[in-house]
Amino acid sequence: MSQPDTIDTLLPASPVPESLPEPLPDAPYIALENLRKAYRIGQQAIPIFAGLDLAIAEGDFVAIMGPSGSGKSTLLNLLAGIDRPDGGVLRIGNSRLDQMGEGARAAWRAHHMGIVFQFYNLLPMLSAAENVELPLLLKPLSRRERRARVERVLDLVGLAGRENHRPGMMSGGQQQRVGIARAIVSDPPLLLCDEPTGDLDRASADAVLDMLRFLNSEMKKTIVMVTHDPQAALYARRTLILDKGRFIEEARAA
Amino acid sequence: MTLFDLARRNAWRKPMRTVLLLVCIAIAFLIYGLTSSFLAGSQGASAANEDILGVMSAGGRGQALPMALGERLKGDPDVADIAPLVRMRGFVGTERNVVAVSAADPVRMMAVNGKGLGLGTPQIEALGAARDTLLVGRALAEAQGFKVGQSVTVSAFDMLKKEGGRDWRFTIAGIFDGENASTDTYFAIARLDYVNAARARGSDTVDAFVVRPKAGADVGRLAARIDALFRNSASPTRTQSEKQFLEAFLRQYADVGLIVNLVVGAAFVTLMMIVVNTMVFAVRERRFEIGVLKTLGFPQRTILTLILFETLFLLALGGAIGLVLAKLGTLAAGPALGLVLTPAILARALGLIIGLGLAAGALPALGAWRMPIVSAFRTR
Repeated sequence: MSQPDTIDTLLPASPVPESLPEPLPDAPYIALENLRKAYRIGQQAIPIFAGLDLAIAEGDFVAIMGPSGSGKSTLLNLLAGIDRPDGGVLRIGNSRLDQMGEGARAAWRAHHMGIVFQFYNLLPMLSAAENVELPLLLKPLSRRERRARVERVLDLVGLAGRENHRPGMMSGGQQQRVGIARAIVSDPPLLLCDEPTGDLDRASADAVLDMLRFLNSEMKKTIVMVTHDPQAALYARRTLILDKGRFIEEARAA
Repeated sequence: MTLFDLARRNAWRKPMRTVLLLVCIAIAFLIYGLTSSFLAGSQGASAANEDILGVMSAGGRGQALPMALGERLKGDPDVADIAPLVRMRGFVGTERNVVAVSAADPVRMMAVNGKGLGLGTPQIEALGAARDTLLVGRALAEAQGFKVGQSVTVSAFDMLKKEGGRDWRFTIAGIFDGENASTDTYFAIARLDYVNAARARGSDTVDAFVVRPKAGADVGRLAARIDALFRNSASPTRTQSEKQFLEAFLRQYADVGLIVNLVVGAAFVTLMMIVVNTMVFAVRERRFEIGVLKTLGFPQRTILTLILFETLFLLALGGAIGLVLAKLGTLAAGPALGLVLTPAILARALGLIIGLGLAAGALPALGAWRMPIVSAFRTR
């Protein structure tokens, strides 16, 4: 498809998707097998996962819900490669994250994964464009190429003309859109979202979720979203309920 | 944007703290610049020649040597030329306005150290035009406001005239600039024949012989040979290079170099503590953002480089400000103090900036390098 001018021109007005694209292939893009993780406090080990299994297909949009302490954030940290499992298999694409060292995982993150945080986590002294440009500093791109990409992505998230605005000059919804732009600017196949609407009002939250759905359906990004918000989970193709380190329920979008 | 831009932006996130830190750094480098300029310039020690020898009495500066020793010195196969020297210390106008006059044979002085002093044929000819002429160094001329053609009376502290009195009248015949800015030019050169003939005591004696060795001669061995030659004579000598002499002269009053190094060392140790402390706090405040950068894929070495860049940037900026102030200080101090900010001082300052930057940035940079992302995210 041709590249949209802005994301607003492509997204439907309704906050809830009316239909979803074609069914996804069966081959898992993300595979967790017998994954184990425990935190240690002094001599005491507190198990989080004691043999977790999960398969997510390429191009899927999965929402993970569950009560506090169920292991949602730990799971996201493991998928993002910012934490290591104690055992089991953690494979994303062709990469075995459970076998990688810190340097290899950093390189993997730079090329294969974008992340959207609940509180945006933009650097306050940088403009919107500079925040979005950050992941591109790790790529062999010229200044002009970086600038062109940043402009394109900011345009995509509806922030054309706000390039020079600092985070403090923008609303929460706008900051989160900058966060999404930063996550997709290097075109990673995987997008991880940690409560992306947790700090937003309903209207802003719906706009952000529309954008995520667009990235999934039109740009074929695989999305894993941790959320407490049942409304947000409606945007996903699948919703998994995590409790005490185990998936206890799965719901698929109609 | 580049990684350096990112480091620079980080450095200015708390402007007041950054300004105060820059003031500290600038003051330390100002102290360094001024004290080093004093060492390098005021006594001319840095520009002093290690290849020119001074032969004095082994009994000390107050003891004269017979002028006849010059002929035996010239007889050494490694000696190219010699210039006998008589020193006169006195004052112009008031007793606090002290000046030094070296009486020498103009032609021989030119041959021995004309290049170092910046002497040329016009000055030597001007000095030779009359017996009571005087060549004045640039620093002395500027400090005293001396002009060519002006008459100057030097009231000698300990050199009486045959005709009575201690006032020596000279006419300024020229000004010499020295080979470079570090050359000591805070003195004047008079004619030895005039001073020798007119003084009441010590006729045909000198305070020192300036010796220029032949090219390729072993200067150290020549010095030892000269001293050995006169060791058992009535006038034993002590031969040193010009640089050794000036440094020994300074040490008569105090080990200025040691004092300066101690002051500068204390300033830089204090500075390093301040920079380390500030950077550790700055990095601690930014733990969460460092976690974000690592999550975006910034490798540990890039995080380390960012922190080191930031420290180096602050030290370079503060150091540059301090050195500019030091340069202005050397200009404002006037020639009497003879402060000279040499390229060597600036090169050492650059080394200090890099060394201190790396040393002060190492601790916070390593902290940021090692910080696990999960721990960084727990700080919010």
